[in-house]
Amino acid sequence: MNHSRRVVITGMGAITPLGHTPKELYANQLEGNSGVGPIFRFDAHTFPTQFASQVKDFDLAKHIRDPDRFRHCGLNTKFALAAAKQALTDSGLLGNNRVDRTALGVYLGSGEGSHDFPNLTLSMALACPADGYKVDPTTFYRHSLRTFGSAHEYEMEMHTTSGHVAEEYALEGPNYTCQTACAASGQAVGEALELIRRGEADAVLTGGSHSMIHPFGVTGFNLLTTLSMRNAEPVRASRPFDLNRDGFVLGEGAGMVVLEELDHAKKRGAPIYAELAGYGTTADAYRVTDSHPDGRGAIACMKLALKDAGLKPGDLDYVNAHGTSTQVNDRAETIAIKDVFGEYAYKLPISSSKSMLGHLICAAGVVELITCVHIIRNGVMVPTINYETPDPDCDLDYIPNKPREKHVDRALSNSFGFGGQNVSLIVSRFAD
Amino acid sequence: MAAAARRAVFTGLGVLSPIGSDPDSFFTALCERKSGVRRLSFADPSGLPCPVGGELPEFNPKKVITNKDHLKSFKMMARTVQMGLVAATVAFRDAKLEIGRLDPDRAGVEFGAGMIASELDDLGRAARISMTAADGPVSLGTWGEKGIKDIPPLWMLKYLPNMPSCHASITLDLRGPSNTITESDAASLLALGEAYRIVQRDVADVMIVGGAESKMNPLSQTRHNLFQQLSKCADDPAAAHRPFDRDRDGSVLGEAAAAVVLEDLGHAQKRGARIFAELAAFACGFDRARDGTVMAKVIRTALQRAGAKIDEVDHVNAQGLATPAGDRWEAKAIREVFGPRTPVWAPKGNFGSAGAAAGVVELVGSVLALDRRQLPPTRNCENPDPDCPVHVHTKGIRPIERPFAVKLNFTDMGQVGVAVIRRWES
Repeated sequence: MNHSRRVVITGMGAITPLGHTPKELYANQLEGNSGVGPIFRFDAHTFPTQFASQVKDFDLAKHIRDPDRFRHCGLNTKFALAAAKQALTDSGLLGNNRVDRTALGVYLGSGEGSHDFPNLTLSMALACPADGYKVDPTTFYRHSLRTFGSAHEYEMEMHTTSGHVAEEYALEGPNYTCQTACAASGQAVGEALELIRRGEADAVLTGGSHSMIHPFGVTGFNLLTTLSMRNAEPVRASRPFDLNRDGFVLGEGAGMVVLEELDHAKKRGAPIYAELAGYGTTADAYRVTDSHPDGRGAIACMKLALKDAGLKPGDLDYVNAHGTSTQVNDRAETIAIKDVFGEYAYKLPISSSKSMLGHLICAAGVVELITCVHIIRNGVMVPTINYETPDPDCDLDYIPNKPREKHVDRALSNSFGFGGQNVSLIVSRFAD
Repeated sequence: MAAAARRAVFTGLGVLSPIGSDPDSFFTALCERKSGVRRLSFADPSGLPCPVGGELPEFNPKKVITNKDHLKSFKMMARTVQMGLVAATVAFRDAKLEIGRLDPDRAGVEFGAGMIASELDDLGRAARISMTAADGPVSLGTWGEKGIKDIPPLWMLKYLPNMPSCHASITLDLRGPSNTITESDAASLLALGEAYRIVQRDVADVMIVGGAESKMNPLSQTRHNLFQQLSKCADDPAAAHRPFDRDRDGSVLGEAAAAVVLEDLGHAQKRGARIFAELAAFACGFDRARDGTVMAKVIRTALQRAGAKIDEVDHVNAQGLATPAGDRWEAKAIREVFGPRTPVWAPKGNFGSAGAAAGVVELVGSVLALDRRQLPPTRNCENPDPDCPVHVHTKGIRPIERPFAVKLNFTDMGQVGVAVIRRWES
């Protein structure tokens, strides 16, 4: 498709388990480092899964002045504020009053804050008889209304993250938050692209932020049996496409990019890192518990992104897979890639950043997109670490264990979410 | 702007509200100034600061969803999710769409949703058996070891905000774009705006756009009573939510779900669909100063995109949150754009604030109003507040003569969405 308004990436920011800037993240990815270790956010020593990929040494004070204003906010909002500032500074839009602030939007795929576990569970426990399941609402109200903090409860609401970011950095254009589970920030980037193409904004700060490394988050994923339980070897737990993979590793963090209309970016002399060339999104319409076994939705999604970018399958040089390290995802994604790319699939290098970063849930898609931008600019593809035993069902080139040099002009990034939510983004080397 | 040749129309409606659970009874109740706000009945509310709200008088999803496989998955759905799925299904059928005849790759779904609170009974026993003493606290160690095993395995999937749209995509075989917008009180109107962009950019012909929200569970009640500005008029529930009234003192919580079928005009005409109204334009922004400046700008942008002049607008369907500051903020923006004469209608007076669902639920009101050429009155605005200098329509049913209506929603932080709809002249 020919788009009359082209959209480029003019700023990037990231707070991740492998670095607090995009540059640091990519350096660690080239080293094949892992962000995974024992959970320190809460005492998880009795949980089925006791490790995660966590952001280390994060201090909001290093990023913004007077961080006390955000003391009631969750990690998701704090990560978002820091990553947003990096991206806006990078693009030259921070505090830049020569541009129309009402034409600068925000579109985040960001998750909710975390519940006050001690007071919520205690309020329920005191209201539940020793031999039953029925919680008495009156007793629950009595304890919960007294012990919950109203500011904390408010800051859990999902619109507060994009609201704080817009308020702090004076972004008065379209403001969206979407929640499509593991596809959220990929979808946010894609829909932000459309806001600019249609002329509803000149630039959009977009990406995502999330932390589910809290007791209810780990509880929920453990119950679904989607998390790896390789407690003895956390660093080796995330092993996408390896035969012995046993689930994903929960991660956390934020990634932000500034998408900007090309002429707008050129006119103000902004750095242009790459072009966002294509976006596709579909639903599996199959089951909420599983993705479609033949990759039905994923296939349609990648094809739509190619069509949107006006490209053929053979035009792509690299794929950053969703690659969660669950049995089902990695098999279905491999089937889908083969369907879309045919014989060329065997020549197309693919890697999963999740092998090193874990799964950043709502923030995953955008951080993986940032990795693709680095690969295009630096000519070195990041590896899939922990790849030891080939799976006969996953027989493509997953860039095992070591980074690889290659001139990459165009990369595809996939994100798939619970409920059958699919997103594919195509990013290209910028050429005028 | 890029070429916007594709037009989008509303061809199906579904609504579940405290004052009516189909479009006809909903609109009749609005015209008759009925209230759906009562003392809460789902659980004894006496311990709550605001013990009143708008509950669905009856909700029987099995009347709508009859397919055995789909019924089986009901136990994986929180009430909010069930409500959203039912509203989407009703709208789909109202539009006379049929699975198998509709191209599934060209049909999608967008919902506005918020946090969906866990039912306490799913977690209560896990918490109880993890207590270290009779009065607590709950031990994280015991929770990890024993508590988790006591929770239903699919617990998390029951409450993910994207579940209304995912279940709708599965039940109705919608394989196109699927998204869930979570911008609080503006969520479902912003979802409508995105669905409009999707239809216009020609990746779908049909989008089911919905909103669903039930806070009729103890955890939501506690949370919203703590941080939301709720009315203290518990002794007269039906009069508690008073949009733009001098004596307003906050919202009441209402549960509701609604969905509309937004369809490409050519697609709708080709299959002979009944058209209720056209979505003429959408705009959104962030009113950072919370003083109405950007809100007014967004309204003007939407009107300009729709090609609508001020005197062609029949009414503004307002947010009408009934908080002292919220209504002043909104009235300031409306006044700045429309002056003192354009009628303002705030349907929340009848059923309270339905959060993420509000946008589409209230929009259905204006779609029906334009279709039937009748504007219902705003309930509970008895003494218009001079600090809200707009013309709130409060008395009787007003005949509609002008072609456009404006729907406005915004959040407490400043996210604003504005839709302009046009009555359909066949």
